Amino acid sequence: MLTIKDLHARVEEKTIIKGLNLEIKPGEVHAIMGPNGAGKSTLGYVLSGREGYEVEQGEVTFNGANLLEMEVEERAQAGLFLAFQYPVEIPGVSNMEFMKESVNAMRKARGEDELSSAEFLKKAKAACKQVNLPLDFLKRGVNEGFSGGEKKRNEIMQLIMLEPKLAILDESDSGLDVDALQVVANGVNSQRDGKRSFIVVTHYQRLLDFIEPDYVHILAQGKIVKSGGPELAKEVEASGYAWLGQAQEGEEA
Amino acid sequence: MSQWLAHVIERAAAVDDWLSPVRAEALAKLKEQTWPGRRTEAWRYTSLHAVEDLSLATESSVQAEAPAIAGLDALDLVFVDGRLTTPLADLDLPEGLTIRALTDKSEAAEHVFTKVKPSHHLFGLVNDVLATQGVVIDVAQDAVIERPIRVVNFASDNVESHTRVLVSLGKNAKATVIEHGSGTGHSLNTAFAEYDIANEARLEHYRFALHQGDAIHVGGSHFKLANKSRLNSTLIGYGSQLTRLDVDIIHAGEHAHAKFNNAYLLAPKEHFDLHSTIEHAMPNGTTEENARGIIGDKAKAVFNGRIHIHRDAQKTLAELNNRNLLLSRGAQINTKPELEIYADDVQCAHGATVAEIDEEALYYLLTRGINKQMALVMLNFGFVQELVFDMPNKALADWLQPILKQRFEDMMERS
Amino acid sequence: MSEQIDQALARKYDAGFVSEIESETFPVGLDEDVIRRLSAIKGEPEWMLEWRLKAYRTWLKQTEPEWAHVDYPKINYQDISYYSAPKSMKDKPKSLDEVDPELLRTYEKLGIPLHEQEMLAGVAVDAVFDSVSVVTTFREKLEEAGVIFCPISEALQKYPDLVKKYLGTVVPRGDNYFAALNSAVFTDGSFVYIPKGVRCPMELSTYFRINEQNTGQFERTLIVADEGSYVSYLEGCTAPQRDENQLHAAVVELVALEGAEIKYSTVQNWYPGDENGKGGIYNFVTKRGLCEKNAKISWTQVETGSAVTWKYPSCILKGDNSVGEFYSVALTRGKQQADTGTKMIHLGKNTKSTIISKGISAGYSNNAYRGLVRMGPGAEGARNFTECDSLLIGDKCGAHTFPYIESSNPSAIVEHEATTSKVSDDQLFLCQQRGLDPEKAVSMIVNGFCKEVFRELPMEFAVEAGKLLEISLEGSVG
Repeated sequence: MLTIKDLHARVEEKTIIKGLNLEIKPGEVHAIMGPNGAGKSTLGYVLSGREGYEVEQGEVTFNGANLLEMEVEERAQAGLFLAFQYPVEIPGVSNMEFMKESVNAMRKARGEDELSSAEFLKKAKAACKQVNLPLDFLKRGVNEGFSGGEKKRNEIMQLIMLEPKLAILDESDSGLDVDALQVVANGVNSQRDGKRSFIVVTHYQRLLDFIEPDYVHILAQGKIVKSGGPELAKEVEASGYAWLGQAQEGEEA
Repeated sequence: MSQWLAHVIERAAAVDDWLSPVRAEALAKLKEQTWPGRRTEAWRYTSLHAVEDLSLATESSVQAEAPAIAGLDALDLVFVDGRLTTPLADLDLPEGLTIRALTDKSEAAEHVFTKVKPSHHLFGLVNDVLATQGVVIDVAQDAVIERPIRVVNFASDNVESHTRVLVSLGKNAKATVIEHGSGTGHSLNTAFAEYDIANEARLEHYRFALHQGDAIHVGGSHFKLANKSRLNSTLIGYGSQLTRLDVDIIHAGEHAHAKFNNAYLLAPKEHFDLHSTIEHAMPNGTTEENARGIIGDKAKAVFNGRIHIHRDAQKTLAELNNRNLLLSRGAQINTKPELEIYADDVQCAHGATVAEIDEEALYYLLTRGINKQMALVMLNFGFVQELVFDMPNKALADWLQPILKQRFEDMMERS
Repeated sequence: MSEQIDQALARKYDAGFVSEIESETFPVGLDEDVIRRLSAIKGEPEWMLEWRLKAYRTWLKQTEPEWAHVDYPKINYQDISYYSAPKSMKDKPKSLDEVDPELLRTYEKLGIPLHEQEMLAGVAVDAVFDSVSVVTTFREKLEEAGVIFCPISEALQKYPDLVKKYLGTVVPRGDNYFAALNSAVFTDGSFVYIPKGVRCPMELSTYFRINEQNTGQFERTLIVADEGSYVSYLEGCTAPQRDENQLHAAVVELVALEGAEIKYSTVQNWYPGDENGKGGIYNFVTKRGLCEKNAKISWTQVETGSAVTWKYPSCILKGDNSVGEFYSVALTRGKQQADTGTKMIHLGKNTKSTIISKGISAGYSNNAYRGLVRMGPGAEGARNFTECDSLLIGDKCGAHTFPYIESSNPSAIVEHEATTSKVSDDQLFLCQQRGLDPEKAVSMIVNGFCKEVFRELPMEFAVEAGKLLEISLEGSVG
């Protein structure tokens, strides 16, 4: 589904990703772990095509297409979804109109008919319920005045609504208590259907207790330094990232 | 000198009612006024050419109904071309609320008429001398009037009209007043409202200035806030041949709070001019003003937002934010947020932007598969819609949102 | 705290002395004859006299502007002398050795030693004393680079075509009341021409001094930076302490041709009047620059002097991709009044402007920022960013912001922000607790407040500006 070959990318003048390789097949869940500043969030931004994140070399193919040549919205329409670590607030644009516009853009791209208002509402209500968001939230501005946990749940709600082929979850666990974490994880797990793939980016092993990965990769200094099964995450939990042998604490890009 | 103003002065002499002594003072001031030109700061960007020699009928027999708003159960007071057509005697009023015609002498009217509105507004003076019809809304101390009071003001083709609204809120009283004006024909309407808000009273206020086409609409809403009173006001304006509004919010007491949101959406070739003045005369007041505008092709918007902190108004918090968007090359915005500050222990800020888009929000929308053009439309309209969402009255918000959305989409198409 | 602030705002004006120099001064009054005489003394070409007379006739029809947030008694323009020159200048000295020693001492006292060997390395100075230029240093070195730096009176004789080509092209003769007056009666000032592709080898500087009583100073500066050239120009001003108000109505025109850059810095310290508002300079100045394609003009000003300031250094961004900047610190105290700011007129595509204005008000003063940002219909992709911050010290002063924003291009982005704050008791307490006296603490806080502007000043000036601010604040806190 997704093939990343020797990816190098930079933000402004600084190269953050330095030779990253990754292969993801349909239905797989890959966890990417690593210390702060390793380039975890950068990967999500580069794959989604955020302005200012420049690919210096390498290739990324997504279901046979050259991902790097596509616009941000084209990547989304092709089935790539990014759940943000810090979702932005957009006062004045309601969740309802936002999601309706988005769902229909995806459907159009897949060659499906647009949803009627009633169908959309039904779907949206169900998704809200699944992630424990009150219904009146659909009328409010996108993420406006939401708590950290509500913002994360809203991201998962969108994941459920948009039915992507590949979802990248960028630290969807940060700032959540155990109950909220359970809600987020349940939402994600409900979308695992053997075809949809996931990249779960996280600093801690905790999330992986709830969303069990098929593979775990350790990202450090812009490349994957170690890969393994779920047991690798447990190792990290026990020993931290100190074994990487370098001062890793720094700003997360 | 303007022919029209000369006629106004002539006609004023014929007005004879119980307010005549007060009107005489206004007339004296009016006579001293010079007709505003380009060099008159308050009219720098708005030409009065269309009014200068205007000559319209001063009466009409047109009938009109208050436009229905779903979910809004308001007490409607209807003016058609300056005539009050609602029989006040038939109104079923809740306890604590009195509504009188301006023609009837009352203490409340005496107390408010020309006492809140600053006398430097030229058209306010015109209204002072010519607005014989009007309503006086008097809310008794501690009365909480849940039912919104809506003053509908309809201007029909080829008529000149002048209406006045006076509102007195007693101590700790609470009320909602909606000024709802419309008209598309070639008309001139001046509509001024004065609000005297006593200690601890709360006013929820809306002004919908929805005049379009050839209508000329000049008016103002003016508020005087006593100790610990609160004002939440939302103004929505269209442009027309000429729409000019002046809003004054005067903190005459301590610890008062004012929130003033306003949005203007100008269809092609329309003109809209809003001057807002926030006067902090006393300490510990707070004001928050948000002004948002979207300007269509060949339309011109003028915004002047002044915050004036007087020497005694220590510990004031005042903020004004103005954002504008031009939809095409022919559109024009002239904005001037002003601060005039004479007290040191205050926090004041203003900001004004034109055409600025939040890149992060845009990226977020794009990652959800929404194409760029649509995302820009959503964000652009979103910043006006935000003020609609912020209206405390949900029925009004639900009524207004699709109307504004439609107008915006039409504007996009025509720009 | 505020009581302490109220206490004695008496501050020393270091530049307030009077020099005993014999001068030739016109009797007061203004008419066409005065202009003719003035032009004759300067030995000007006929077209220049015509130009002046036309300006004078325009001025007669104009009225003094009243829109600024300043208040001063009506000026009687017939009570002013329009020409004053040290007698020793009658036969113009050929070198510094021939300059009246008293004049040299004046400049030395002001910290501007004119003897080249004593000078700050790398700064050429044109010293203007009342109505005439006294001396211009480093001329030979500049001539080697092809740079012309001389009094404008001399330029009118030596390079009449250059002057004629550019004079009045940026600030037209009848632009405004004070500019028209200046055009009619300007006496001296500096002329600078930087040839194509030349980077001026040193900072150029003009130092203005009003000495004589009842005179006005009307200098005119014209700087032309030809294609691809660069120049940094500094301007300083002082005047003696006198009880009468004196008028200073200058005009500065900058022309930055394609790809050229002009950096213009001012430290204005005219006599501000005493604590009761008696005396001081009326500083009514028109400064404007024109940018052709890819050109850049940067105005930096530190304004601490004058009783009344009316001044808006502006940029007309005519050429595509041209850049305008305005960095300003204006400090008012006592009964000073300042109404200052800038105009950025965006005409070309992708033009950019930045405005950073810091106003500090103390005592009974009033300090206003007035600015205009205009995006013309052709200003495709243009951008402006404006930040106006005011700091109030004490509760008897005023701080005002009047920004005009006019846009008629949908792709042009304008951002304006303004805030106001005070030196808080908490900040002061913290500093005091750390052992600083309040005066030092305030000057530190104010310096921090102005940092963004100071760092735009050339090194020599930045130090001077910091000191000036410190002296100006002396006594503003008890």
